[in-house]
Amino acid sequence: MRVILESKVRSKPNLPIEAEAIIPRNFLKGTDHVVFEGNKERTLSELFWIFVEGTAVSPENIEVILKGDTSRIKRVGEYMDTGSIVIEGDIGMHCGNFMSGGTIEIRGNADAWLGREMRGGTILCRGNAGHYCATGYRGEKKGMQGGKVEVSGNTGDFCAEYLAGGTVHIHGSTGDFPGAEMRGGELIIEGDATRPCGNMKNGSCVILGTVHDMLPTFEKIERRVLPEWKITADVYKGDVANRGKGNLCVRSTGLY
Amino acid sequence: MIERDVVCPFCGCLCDDLELETEGGKIVKVQNGCSLAESTFMNDTRLPAPIRRTETGWEDISYNEAIKETAEILRDADRPLLYGWSSTHGEAQSIGVHIAELIGAVIDNTSTVCHGPSILAIQEVGHPGCTLGQVKNRADVIIYWGANPVEAHPRHMSRYTTYATGFFVPEARRERTVIVVDTRRTDTANIADEFVQIERGGDYAVFSALRAIVRGNASVIPRKVAGVSKEQLIRIAEICKKAKFGAIFFGLGLTMSRGKYKNIRNAIELTDELNRHTKFVISPLRGHGNVYGSNEVFTWMTGYPFAVDFARGIAFYNPGETTAVDILRRGECDAALIVASDPGANFPRAAAAHLAKIPTVVIDPHVNATTALSRIHIPCTAAGIDAAGTAYRMDGVPIRLKKVIDRGYPDDAEILKKIYDLLNGGMGP
Amino acid sequence: MTELWVKNACVIDPIRGINGDIMDIAIRDGRIVESVSDRAEVIDAERCLTLPGGIDSHTHVSGTKVNFGRYMSPEDMRAGRTKRKGKMHVTSGYYVPTTFGNSYRYSAMGYTTLLEGAMAPLEARHTHEEFTATPHQDMMANTLFDGNWAVMDAVREKDIRKTAAVVAWTLKAARGYGIKLTNPGGTEAWGWGEDLTGIHDTVPHFAVTPAEIITTMIRANELLKLPHSVHLHCNNLGKPGNYQTTLETFELVPDLNDARQTLYATHVQFHAYGGGTWKNICSKAEEITRLVNSKPQIVMDMGQIMFGRTMTMTADGPMEFNLHCLHNNKWSNHDVELETGSGIIPVTYSKKSTVNCIMWAIGLELALLTKNPWQCLLETDNPNGAPFVKYPEVIGLLMSKRYRDEECAALHAGTEQKTSLYALEREMDWHDIAVMTRAGQAKALGIVSQGKGHLGVGAEADIAIYPIRTDSVDPAREYRKVVEGFQKTRYTIKRGRVVSRDGEIIVDGANATFWVDAKVPEDIRMENDPEFIKRFEQFYTVRMSNYPVQDVYLPRGRCIETEAFT
Ligand code: SF4
Ligand SMILES: [Zn+2]
Repeated sequence: MRVILESKVRSKPNLPIEAEAIIPRNFLKGTDHVVFEGNKERTLSELFWIFVEGTAVSPENIEVILKGDTSRIKRVGEYMDTGSIVIEGDIGMHCGNFMSGGTIEIRGNADAWLGREMRGGTILCRGNAGHYCATGYRGEKKGMQGGKVEVSGNTGDFCAEYLAGGTVHIHGSTGDFPGAEMRGGELIIEGDATRPCGNMKNGSCVILGTVHDMLPTFEKIERRVLPEWKITADVYKGDVANRGKGNLCVRSTGLY
Repeated sequence: MIERDVVCPFCGCLCDDLELETEGGKIVKVQNGCSLAESTFMNDTRLPAPIRRTETGWEDISYNEAIKETAEILRDADRPLLYGWSSTHGEAQSIGVHIAELIGAVIDNTSTVCHGPSILAIQEVGHPGCTLGQVKNRADVIIYWGANPVEAHPRHMSRYTTYATGFFVPEARRERTVIVVDTRRTDTANIADEFVQIERGGDYAVFSALRAIVRGNASVIPRKVAGVSKEQLIRIAEICKKAKFGAIFFGLGLTMSRGKYKNIRNAIELTDELNRHTKFVISPLRGHGNVYGSNEVFTWMTGYPFAVDFARGIAFYNPGETTAVDILRRGECDAALIVASDPGANFPRAAAAHLAKIPTVVIDPHVNATTALSRIHIPCTAAGIDAAGTAYRMDGVPIRLKKVIDRGYPDDAEILKKIYDLLNGGMGP
Repeated sequence: MTELWVKNACVIDPIRGINGDIMDIAIRDGRIVESVSDRAEVIDAERCLTLPGGIDSHTHVSGTKVNFGRYMSPEDMRAGRTKRKGKMHVTSGYYVPTTFGNSYRYSAMGYTTLLEGAMAPLEARHTHEEFTATPHQDMMANTLFDGNWAVMDAVREKDIRKTAAVVAWTLKAARGYGIKLTNPGGTEAWGWGEDLTGIHDTVPHFAVTPAEIITTMIRANELLKLPHSVHLHCNNLGKPGNYQTTLETFELVPDLNDARQTLYATHVQFHAYGGGTWKNICSKAEEITRLVNSKPQIVMDMGQIMFGRTMTMTADGPMEFNLHCLHNNKWSNHDVELETGSGIIPVTYSKKSTVNCIMWAIGLELALLTKNPWQCLLETDNPNGAPFVKYPEVIGLLMSKRYRDEECAALHAGTEQKTSLYALEREMDWHDIAVMTRAGQAKALGIVSQGKGHLGVGAEADIAIYPIRTDSVDPAREYRKVVEGFQKTRYTIKRGRVVSRDGEIIVDGANATFWVDAKVPEDIRMENDPEFIKRFEQFYTVRMSNYPVQDVYLPRGRCIETEAFT
């Protein structure tokens, strides 16, 4: 089954919409769902043109497609556990929060907190992602715990903060402090990064581009060839500001 | 008439030993206060009545009219923002929160542009602190990091730290080692025993290095970190470890520079580490008189110190998303009530500009930069001058602000209460 | 005049010796009366269990430390969020809920009076502000004296009268209720990052010992005729082997008061550990209760822990730091000049941890081994051992051996040899529970004469009607029903008004705050003591005139005056 949601023109287009109801499983029971626009409760049909194609008996066969201006729609895919969502344009904050299964594809850019506290499933963002991509919530000790987040473009600051499990793969560059407070999982940055892995406790991070402002509290252990990335990397242990047992691999700059 | 032990409401020090001389309902002399206190009490010009913007300028309107229109603006909004609160008392703040939960507004205080990052850091790692008297009576090592109290908190050093006579440090300055860390040589730096000059944005790296040194990992540290020599870092670490009682105070130089809350977190973790060797505490130098009070009131009522979004009925908190600057910058809100603060002067231009595009109401004793962006300005009492109420000092000590004179203005709490009542169909909170 | 007539109530009122009689209760203007007119509103209790309103004699719900627990825990605020609804304000939080959250949830459980366990006098105003925002319970605040400089000076001078005068002045200034000692002397040592290891250690720079502070304060307390006794959190909390300190402390306590205990020892579970390390820690509940059973002058509360996530918060700063070094999670500390300290860290009590399992067992052992339920009250040191919403489960465990056995089966294997719990057959009855959750508290706090903890004529009409029919529920088998029954009253009546129905708050609250003004002779009042004034102005950072809590902070203050020294 395919559910197509095309956003309607709104009189106040900047108002955030909170739409955690948009997960494939919910459309098994129809399209009558509640979302919020600012402080008002709305039905899905007040904000979207809804088209349903085909039928489904189980949620894993449901594909939800979002079209139109969706950049202010938050929480799409929150608690999603199966099926798939395709967002043709940009998506608002908190897309894929707590997601445990299924796939989300974002053809445009994603706003902040993409895949927050994610536990499983896959998110693919073909554009750029905002700050706090694949992270956690304020005060919580664990961020993303499982699954995969892949971003074709760049991300903002604090990418994969508190990463505890799963894989975060950024094809472009990240902003400041990627991998801060990491305690598990794997972070791959193909582009550049600034101050990576501050205060990391565990987990591993590979950076193929240039590292700016490398922190002084990483201990260089060895130089190693990483065959899967076809590079020679300097391997650091850290962060020794704490009892850090994390691994940070940075492409070696000198000739080898 | 002489009024003693008056509390100065201006900055987070909340000095409570001022002497005010009043004459015929006017303050004529301020003693014991710093120059900021003096101008707070003496330069207090206010609008005589509420004003409303017209096509060509401003018109005077009655309080009732202003209150009624404010209530209507808030009621009609889909995403109202209630912002400010740091220069008024807890009583007004608390009604503000009730309005926010009633109408599904976002309520935020000025922490957003000062120590919000400190709060985020505390939410990650906690806060080893104390009341200021602990520092005054015990501290033999005092560190000011990214802070210039000489300018922003003029009596901090004389009342609470460096120059204060303490029970266990009767010789005050002579028994205390003062370390100042900053990117430039400030007035505060000039009185330091040890000045550490850091490259801009290098704070985080320096904290990390100090933590590593204190943990015994000095060998990993390079010869220079953000412009600071390894020798100096090791010396600082030694001074700290040998302290009987050390205290770190930090300011906006740390919270608002690159890395923001991660800087503070690292500072707190250094403090934590030092507690495994001796006694160490850390505290933000809170700016506005009662900004800490707004955090306290918000917290016991909503669970969160700032940036609380009631749009969904429940309280939601996520700085970066629910903070006033971010909501304005994204052009989300469609009405704003600004109380006891001046975002027009303190917010980034793009954020402040949005205030002019939507109906904005200001409730503040004084005309300020936000007035120029607003539709209505309602003058009121100033907490600590002509209104009594509760304020929380930067260390959490609650102090009652006094009403020193009567100027005939309504209390902002009273105005807010009336707005609340209108919004609630005539029922109180 | 408002009248209410509760008929067909199955009343257990231990203070008046009523145990399960079916009776009617007449209420006029907030108090219980002989009879009401036929215009009175009627509630049919349908023979449900009806008790005096619950009283918590040791909980942390208001003030600097509690609020800091909230401040640092946005992750907890995500739990337990409710919207504004009718008369109910928004609530957030599970183990450190907002003030309204605390108030509504306590009310739903039938609690109408709370004693905040720790208030630093310098920050008393804050506690009182939060009391006003905790509208459905009458409040009172234990006032911290453990590291009070003026007290320690007077103790060193062996001057009981002066000690009493300092206490009287401070209680009045803080609008406090009673004396709380948290790790006496230890919180001052923590000002230097140190702690004391026993009650005969000397407090650095003050040349007094915890034993001296405790014994002098006990005498001062009685000299002041305070309604409550000294309320003590013993030294060495949470350390393996600390039961020795606890026993030594209890041995110091004379029997000085006919109406109530002479010492209230709080959260004794945390003070009943044998062994010497975390590896060989074991229960010493038998030793502790043996002594308590022979000393009627001591009342304790359980300090029960329950498994799950919660927050520890206490004035015991050094203890919290030690705990932090084990957990390495977030840690807050807040020392208060010339007075006390405090610390806060989140914890998770896990069935996988032998230590936690032993702690869980000890709390229950203490209650089950104390012969007289008036001497061991039911608390979790909310939220330290568990949030108070777990009380119904604790009640269930005390009433049902089967429930305990089922829980024990899931515990870490090492637990059985380290405690005596598995062998204890005792199952408490409804009357025991009524004692341990209200009557005992009222007596221990000295508020029976204020009309609390009983339903006699003249008492405040604070009443909890639970959806439990004691004649048809067998708590030993149907413990689930017991737990559910105590989670939500059918009616909670506060001062004659129904405030909560089936768990929902239906009116705005209007609580009172109890505080004590102990009048000491003019010549030894601290406000007339030039030396005291001088030291105050020199070493505090607020002026003495700005220190006392103004009356506006107690919109419904109820002052209990005592004629001290007579
Ligand atoms: S330091 Fe701050 S509180 Fe003290 S007098 Fe100056 S402005 Fe006022
Ligand atoms: Zn306690």
